[in-house]
Amino acid sequence: MKSEQREAIAQRAVERSRADQTEVRVSCSDESLTRFTHGISNQNVAADDVTISIRTIINGRTGVASSNDTGDAAVDALLAQALDMASFAPSNPLVPNLPAGGPAQAPAGCYVEATATCDPASRATIADAILTRAEREHYWCAGYVSTSSGGTTIANSSGALASFDGTDAQVNVKATAPDSTGFAEHYTVDVRELNGSDVGARAVELARASANPRAVEPGQWTVILEPPAFGEFLIYLLAHFSAQNFSDGSSFCSDGLDRTYFDERVTITDDYSHPLAPAMPFDYEGQPKSKVTLVEAGVVRNIVTDSYYAKKLDRPDTGHALPAPNAYGPQALNVVVAPGTQSTQDLIASTKRGLLISRFWYIRTVDQKRAIVTGMTRDGTFLIENGKIAGGVRNLRFNQSIVEALGSVNFSNEQRRTGSYSGSLVVPTAKVERFTFTSTTDF
Amino acid sequence: MEFEALGRRALDTASARGAHYADIRFENVHGERIEVRNGVVASLADGQSCGYGIRALVDGAWGFAASSDLTDAGIDRTSARAVAIARASAAMARERFGEAPPHAYVDRYETPIVRDPREVPLGERVALLLEAEKLVHAGERIAVGRAWLDLWRTEKFFYSTIGSAIEQTIVQTGSGVQAMAVGDGDVQTRTFPGDIGLYKSGGWEIVEEAALTKNAQRIGEEATALLTAPQCPSGTFDIILGGSQVSLQIHESCGHPAELDRVMGWEANFSGTSFLEVSQLDKLRYGSPAVTILVDNNLPSGMATCGYDDEGTKSGRSDIVRDGVLRGYEMSNDTARAIGRTSNACVRAQSWEFVPMIRMCNLNLLPGDVPFDGLFDGVRDGIYMEGNRSWSIDDRRLNFQFGCQIGWEVKNGKRGRMLKNPTYAGVTPQFWNGCDAIADVASWNAWGTPNCGKGEPMQSGRTTQAASPARFRQVSVGVGYK
Repeated sequence: MKSEQREAIAQRAVERSRADQTEVRVSCSDESLTRFTHGISNQNVAADDVTISIRTIINGRTGVASSNDTGDAAVDALLAQALDMASFAPSNPLVPNLPAGGPAQAPAGCYVEATATCDPASRATIADAILTRAEREHYWCAGYVSTSSGGTTIANSSGALASFDGTDAQVNVKATAPDSTGFAEHYTVDVRELNGSDVGARAVELARASANPRAVEPGQWTVILEPPAFGEFLIYLLAHFSAQNFSDGSSFCSDGLDRTYFDERVTITDDYSHPLAPAMPFDYEGQPKSKVTLVEAGVVRNIVTDSYYAKKLDRPDTGHALPAPNAYGPQALNVVVAPGTQSTQDLIASTKRGLLISRFWYIRTVDQKRAIVTGMTRDGTFLIENGKIAGGVRNLRFNQSIVEALGSVNFSNEQRRTGSYSGSLVVPTAKVERFTFTSTTDF
Repeated sequence: MEFEALGRRALDTASARGAHYADIRFENVHGERIEVRNGVVASLADGQSCGYGIRALVDGAWGFAASSDLTDAGIDRTSARAVAIARASAAMARERFGEAPPHAYVDRYETPIVRDPREVPLGERVALLLEAEKLVHAGERIAVGRAWLDLWRTEKFFYSTIGSAIEQTIVQTGSGVQAMAVGDGDVQTRTFPGDIGLYKSGGWEIVEEAALTKNAQRIGEEATALLTAPQCPSGTFDIILGGSQVSLQIHESCGHPAELDRVMGWEANFSGTSFLEVSQLDKLRYGSPAVTILVDNNLPSGMATCGYDDEGTKSGRSDIVRDGVLRGYEMSNDTARAIGRTSNACVRAQSWEFVPMIRMCNLNLLPGDVPFDGLFDGVRDGIYMEGNRSWSIDDRRLNFQFGCQIGWEVKNGKRGRMLKNPTYAGVTPQFWNGCDAIADVASWNAWGTPNCGKGEPMQSGRTTQAASPARFRQVSVGVGYK
């Protein structure tokens, strides 16, 4: 659905509302994914949808109703339903005025027609190239190729009207050798950048290089975390920068901002306009997103807010609202970690004994306040001895405070967009001086 | 909405375009979420979503397309898209693996409910949560109180080219309360019931069973007490796990590794593979003789209970682990056929826009014959833990680590002082082989999970692992806090 159509639906609903304040979100999506394993496509799917969500506020009472029927009669009924819901909520004096919006320029290149119109045969061609590359080594592999397009429009009774359209293309693959595995991924907005043969070759090379893994002892190690591993690790710190966690007292930095928590080489921003991951320039309340410096040279400078927490904490609205209703508070969704000055090879060369880790798996928070998390290595873990890769090692479980890990860390001079089911972000390779492993596996 | 005519149109279109088999699943999903947070209704939301997903089989390969466009043109376009995707699958396939389901059914199923949640006035639903959340604030150190309610009603209409016509109405309900205490540089959380609330198929009676207002104050008091409780010790101990924690242990260490698609490498790049290899079937001693784990998709009040799965296979009951030995898997038509078996109806899609895939359904640990208090007998120096706080397991489902919200030391068969931050870790078969007692049916409950993740695109599944508390010998405790 074109942005003009979404805007017409949203503005009509705002105009017809009898509430004190009304916010309407109209979203459309068309998502396709070709998943493959062992020489077959086990999930080859596509889905399109259009949804509308209406938030009404009367005397501080809020109700939300949503549907995927955007016809006039259905939207009128949805308005009435949202109003009815609101009448049952107690009045909340902290409910703010909805943001009036403002200019919000979409980053260049966030929508690529070739991605939006990519057909299943084209995805299958990329997948086939990966399968072929693995078969040459007599490995088997599993992964996916996905393309998607989506649009979001926000309109509200304060005058905000904002629309965004974007595309996304991804490939990820795990190659499996007799006693080792390797992983590679590529995230982009332009499907034409995806090269199945190259991605397949990287996964195959990691699997080959980590063959015959040896056991190493758990304990404290120096680790070099490649972007997929470091990104997955860092994601579990991001909610600490939410105004809600900060306000609740559950964030590591709830005791105060403008304090040094990390190594001076750590600078983290939330930047929707980064060229590797261009994203929506406004939040789900229609407020333009600010580029927020969360951490500057090790000092925590800012948290992210939405209209509710901006009012509650008397801070600026940084434009980080999630879709209403939202019990999670505002969130940093476009995190970028500043690069360092050395190459990844330099980081390895300067390591006397350590582990190079390609990917983490199943990270979960063990201790909220101290940001201790546990998880596993997977798909390519290597021993470093005297500055050189000395072969693959069996997988390990870690228990590590993210705050403490960032207390002594160095970064490579290259950033990559990475992601997982938990989110997407732009990070360099990270070298952490002290990282605690607590057990090992037999594989 | 006349789904049958639209369904016939979609199937005719798919067949005309070359599909050897096709099915269509319409879903009309209604959900309500109410959440109270610190005295404020943070969420009062009602959502409705209606659409359909079409599976098409061409040359032994599958394609799936879904849409909310319910016009004739939308049906035609989406059906053609499913066939085109199936053709692309066939073009890249090194082998044929897909076949049409072996049986057709014409039937109806409806979740039995005592009281339709929609009959309870919205004002009453909100008032219950406001009252429960208020009680959670048992002291000044409770920084966050929460109370929530989820109501789901899903109408499904399934039609296939082999003649299936299945209509189902599934009603699922959940609610819970949570207290988060903050102080002394620490954060402690308690949830009730279990660790995410009580989620079952059924009506308002599930909310009444949860007894939120009766337990909210205790939960708040326990969260506050945990701030000053001693740290759980590290070492090797006998442990007793509460029912909801045993449920999660089954979920992570048996439910996921027994998914046959995972065993066959279909999840390798994301949620991983499995140590329960087909060569181990009928041989592997997964656990002690006390351990019997079944798929039972007819379980009363199970979150995955239904008449038919999303491939149109009739629900039933089958062994996964019987008397400690691996006996079976959670299966779909295609995966079951690959190992010479038939599907046990474990295929689900999150909703209409997702492709059906093997999901953990109702996977239950049969109760033992020991009263709950009897689990403590014979424990000289151990830990009792309740309510999950963290969970992690490797991508073959062997090396795991769990943390619980609260623990108590057990000395000479008696429960002693409260302990904070209890964690335990192990390797799956060794752990379950150390299970020497399971509490009896009096403390057996159908613990439901509303948000189990799997697949790409990621799908959220609703599942139940019925369990009662159980005892495990010589387990590594206190990991992560040494």
